[in-house]
Amino acid sequence: MSKVLNKTITPMPSAINTSHHHFSISSIFANWRAYYDITKPKVVALLVLTALVGMSLSVPGALPWQRLIPAMLGIALLSSAAAAINHIVDEKIDTVMGRTHNRPLPAGKISVTNAIVFATSIALLGFIILYALVNPLTAFLTLAGLVGYSFVYTMYLKRATPQNITIGGLAGAIPPLLGWTAMTNEVVPNALLLVLIIFTWTPPHFWALAIHRKNDYAKVNIPMLPVTHGVSFTKTQILLYTVLLFIVCLLPYLVGMSNWLYLIGACSLNLIFFGYAWQLKFNAKEGTAMATFKFSIVHLMLLFIILLLDHYWLPMG
Amino acid sequence: MTEHSKKTQTLRRLVLTSLLLAIVVIGLGAYTRLTHAGLGCPDWPTCYGLIDVPETSIQIAAAEQAFPERHVEPAKAWNEMIHRYFAGSLGLLIAVIAFVSIKLRFSKSSKVRYPIFLPLCILGIVTFQAALGMWTVTLKLMPIVVMGHLLGGFTTLCLLFLLYLRINARRINTQGEKLAESQLKKYSSYALIGITILTAQIALGGWTSSNYAAMSCVELPICQGDWLSDLSFEQSFDLIPPNQESYEFGHLAHNERVTIHVSHRFGAIITGAFLAWLAITIFLKAKTPSIKNTATILLSLLVIQISLGVSNIWFSLPLKVAVAHNLVAAGLMLSLIALTYKLRQNSEESLYE
Repeated sequence: MSKVLNKTITPMPSAINTSHHHFSISSIFANWRAYYDITKPKVVALLVLTALVGMSLSVPGALPWQRLIPAMLGIALLSSAAAAINHIVDEKIDTVMGRTHNRPLPAGKISVTNAIVFATSIALLGFIILYALVNPLTAFLTLAGLVGYSFVYTMYLKRATPQNITIGGLAGAIPPLLGWTAMTNEVVPNALLLVLIIFTWTPPHFWALAIHRKNDYAKVNIPMLPVTHGVSFTKTQILLYTVLLFIVCLLPYLVGMSNWLYLIGACSLNLIFFGYAWQLKFNAKEGTAMATFKFSIVHLMLLFIILLLDHYWLPMG
Repeated sequence: MTEHSKKTQTLRRLVLTSLLLAIVVIGLGAYTRLTHAGLGCPDWPTCYGLIDVPETSIQIAAAEQAFPERHVEPAKAWNEMIHRYFAGSLGLLIAVIAFVSIKLRFSKSSKVRYPIFLPLCILGIVTFQAALGMWTVTLKLMPIVVMGHLLGGFTTLCLLFLLYLRINARRINTQGEKLAESQLKKYSSYALIGITILTAQIALGGWTSSNYAAMSCVELPICQGDWLSDLSFEQSFDLIPPNQESYEFGHLAHNERVTIHVSHRFGAIITGAFLAWLAITIFLKAKTPSIKNTATILLSLLVIQISLGVSNIWFSLPLKVAVAHNLVAAGLMLSLIALTYKLRQNSEESLYE
């Protein structure tokens, strides 16, 4: 069926593309929604939240807004640029996959040139904001995150190994560190602890989605774990990673960074996540993989919100 | 037919039955309110201590002795009691739905992940509705309780409808349809705004009715006389009213009721304009008949609802029109929910996809 759909839709891009041959500001305004969509706004919002938590936990008491605003803005801009580059790099495979062929780039709403100019501009703007108004360390670390995600992960790892997201997950896990260095201008162990939480969370989070989209990835030869090692093995991995995540999430309490509120919150969230993973492995139904994926997002969001509440309500030492 | 698909079929039928029953209960609720039968029985859950209505002269004499403050009016008491019977049956039916949902969710043989949070939520709300129903009587029709009871009823209906849509989703929604309508994605957020506006307008309607302000403005389009100088927002929207023996027939002054009524009219203008724009835009841009039809239904119900609102003023609140105005409001909300549901896409994002 997707073949038929592709045929009916292919004439459209060329028709639209002709009007977008050169980059112009007016095309951005006329087409703002397409540009907005390629920045993965929901994911960027979650990244910025984790960065905000990194900032809050780095210093006791209130945050100076003169740092807070440019840091959040810079991190958001560079993350959006990274997501846009991901859309550009994946344009070809998105065209083939039924589910993604109507994304802005494969559908021809934005030309590749325009997307590249857009991504470069917001990346440059974000870098300048961080370098000038925050500190060079944060600017370079954020840029490293962009390179790690857009180039190392999307261009190489994703197509090279089933452990792609385990390694590539480091890039998406870095925002709490960026938030922390934005405030303190130094890399400290506690910041890396927050990075470690997201790093451990990423594989079970993404593999749940990869199981749901296994056929799509197989079609375009992306070696995601369910494609190369089977769904059953992936489910076991997810289950084991949720156990690992449970342990890692205890660390902030054990090292004295967070208080009992965090401990209770983290234990409940991880128990539920484990429950989802258990159900996925031993009693899976049609929507379980997708439900697990959706819950993983809620899990990370709530975990970081609880970190924040815990920090301000029950400050340590 | 296998054992399992039979169970699914049962759940589907149960939800559909309760959906229809909920509409009847809402209609009966509006009828009870509009026939001033809300205090037809001074006690709860019994009526003058009976499970039906006192009718024989001996029963009436006994009832009037037990409740000297309330003269027995069998017709009004029947209105109230019939509403209670139907509402009680609906509650029991919803409890059965929750039970069946739990069984289906944890049964090894079912391949589909049935919603479980939603039915439990509905059960919680319908239980709270019973409490609100009691308070309408014990707190003597306090406006906030009456409006809350209306909104609780609408919420029950809407969530039942959502459950119905979700159970049927896999049969209706095909992947091809989702792809064809991807450019309508952005309207799903506008539809959500529409639901918010309509909810506010229904609440304002409930506030108008529970404060007996429906006849406070008798002219079109806004109000009679120098209504602008009559407006007083100070106490018109106070949620907790001053203590009164009874709130039946309203406790607010005339200009406060005018304020409430005028707010509902302005609300109608805003809601009407927004929903009309939404329905027409979606109708013009949609490609699949399913979405086009839903938009058409939304627009038709909107036209009917506005006509009913105008008729309420024009013909001085006839009972049938007033009840219909309430029911069509529910229909309007359901069609808007159906439209929103059909527009919403699986738009899950991940950094690593």
